[in-house]
Amino acid sequence: MTTICSNQQALNSPLAKKLSEDQCRKLYWACLEILERTGVQLFEQEAVDLLKKAGAHISDGNRVRIPAGLVEKAFATAPKKITLCDRNGKRVIQAGGHQSYFGTGSDCLNILDHRTGERRQAVLKDIEEGMKLCDALEHIDFVMSMFLPSDVPQETLDRYEMEAMLNYTTKPIIYVTTEFSGCMDAVKMAEIVAGGPDALAQNPVAACYINVTTGLRHNKEALQKLLYLSEKGLPFTYIPSAQGGVTAPITIASTMAVNNAGVLAGLVISQLKREGAPFIMPGWGGNMLDMRTTIQPYADPEKRGQAIDFAHFLGIPTFGLAGCSESKLVDEQAAAEAALTLFTDAIFGGNFVHDVGYLESGLCGSLPQLAICNEILSWLDAFMKGIEISDETLCLDLIDEIGPEGQYLDCRHTLDHFRERWYPNLFDRSSYDGWQAKGGKSLGERAVEDVDRILQEHKPEPLPKDIAKAVHKVTEDAESKI
Amino acid sequence: MANLQDLTEAVIKGDEDKIKLTILELLNAGTPAKEIMDDGLIAGMNIVGGKMETEEMFIPEVLMSAKAMSAGVEILKPQLTDEENAASGTMILGTVQGDLHDIGKNLVKMLMEGAGFSVIDLGTDVPPAAFVDAIKEHNADIVAMSALLTTTMPKMKETMEAMENAGIRDQVKVLVGGAPVTENYADEIGADGYGYDAGSAVRIAKEYMTN
Repeated sequence: MTTICSNQQALNSPLAKKLSEDQCRKLYWACLEILERTGVQLFEQEAVDLLKKAGAHISDGNRVRIPAGLVEKAFATAPKKITLCDRNGKRVIQAGGHQSYFGTGSDCLNILDHRTGERRQAVLKDIEEGMKLCDALEHIDFVMSMFLPSDVPQETLDRYEMEAMLNYTTKPIIYVTTEFSGCMDAVKMAEIVAGGPDALAQNPVAACYINVTTGLRHNKEALQKLLYLSEKGLPFTYIPSAQGGVTAPITIASTMAVNNAGVLAGLVISQLKREGAPFIMPGWGGNMLDMRTTIQPYADPEKRGQAIDFAHFLGIPTFGLAGCSESKLVDEQAAAEAALTLFTDAIFGGNFVHDVGYLESGLCGSLPQLAICNEILSWLDAFMKGIEISDETLCLDLIDEIGPEGQYLDCRHTLDHFRERWYPNLFDRSSYDGWQAKGGKSLGERAVEDVDRILQEHKPEPLPKDIAKAVHKVTEDAESKI
Repeated sequence: MANLQDLTEAVIKGDEDKIKLTILELLNAGTPAKEIMDDGLIAGMNIVGGKMETEEMFIPEVLMSAKAMSAGVEILKPQLTDEENAASGTMILGTVQGDLHDIGKNLVKMLMEGAGFSVIDLGTDVPPAAFVDAIKEHNADIVAMSALLTTTMPKMKETMEAMENAGIRDQVKVLVGGAPVTENYADEIGADGYGYDAGSAVRIAKEYMTN
């Protein structure tokens, strides 16, 4: 488990900031102004009714203008910290503030097959192996499905994803579903595993990733999921996908204002539905479309940092995005973009940081790339720790005892403490000859071997047979309804 | 009742007290000293050496084992015949003239001692003549030279020449090492072996003694 946490004053751990408090306030006021003046379009009647009752202005049936006071009120009940549990109910994630957790992304169409080197459509087996790998990787804290399975009925693929995640890892899950019914089925599965609806609400093993059309246009499925999960008190992200230059103005400030106006609208609806509903907002801000290629870049430097600052200002946990790359291969670009994006989210203090291991701007995934990201996170875990300067760590007595002529290699103190220092696993520190003696392999080659070894050796704790059967019945029932 | 396996494990753990106690028990039970040395202590250090090369054991742990092993050897030495004592090998060690670096050289020393060698450490900034004198005086089996600087590396060659001139080159195996030193350079100056790190130096030195 990663223990990355920026801004720890006790040990003075590293911290970065891009927006000042005044800038955050100006951005926040811009969001309030958009909500009051322009308003949002909501394609779910219950959401419109809730806002109308609370005092919002409704026109044209579903155009809702939300007064600033309603937003202010929502902050009073929205939790600043969100807990996720592992499959055994252990409360392993306490996300909020500057505490960072890292996990994979979901639904890559393709996989760069580490056995053949070929890029091909992903299948269910890839998700199962991906989850097995995640279960073993120390610095992957939560999982998303990684791949989109092409070999199962497409109407129910989200049920297969959820089942695979529950079966092949005990780590907390963030799930994505195509339709609202898939979301209810995912909750049903999670309730079976947790031991009922109350047990799941108290110790949630899974959160839902909800995507919204844009900041000002909220699709029906997104609102249905938000209302359903709020009522149950289960955590979810609410991520409008406004794209700078297309569905929002191209400037970063403006894209953020439009997108976050939508986030705040979602926050208000969730708290009106049920006070205290656990709500997670985006940790990146100012999405753009690459105007040369029409690709939406994931490792874009300009969208990083400011959204985390803004969320800290608001006091809402974030869903970050890092460890991803636009590269088509597990190559130098992939390593550089993964490292830089993970570094920024760690040092700014994003909370649920997902998309670790993504290639090709979210269209392809790679298991060795994920293993490399795990190594980068191990590095960051060591980097982000503050330094203890105390009598004990200074050990002046020892310095005096050894004196100028002595050496510390064979003294007890070295033996007792050398393991506290960081050592790489995949990164190579051998001498040239030592490296050659081990086969003279590149990082990519070593990562492939590591993945093969883990898939062969690691045995995730299985779900009890009756539970696994009950979970699978949810998939079967969904299929029989098609 | 102690056995050789206990001794081997104590060496791997670097447990000096356990090593001493186990050796005394084994000697009391009539186990030959040579057997205790070879099948207990050296067997343990061979495992340690392997674990160091596969990076399972780290240098401080290896040194702990080496130190504990040396303590065991001290107890055994009086029990061994002169011939048996000589079999483990005598090594002259030093950093060549003009070079003051000694961390790597000291590491080699500790590991060589742990491997059972009796090591004569000439220190740093050692002139060619001092190597020659020490070889003669101690009837050495192996000479190990270290250099960290490209500017002091040529002193290795000079030391080789000094050995030639003194007519003792063929009596000893010459092992060289240090960051700028390469296998090619070792060949070029006519050294017998090149260790790219302390662990490999020990492995090569042990090969010389068994062949």
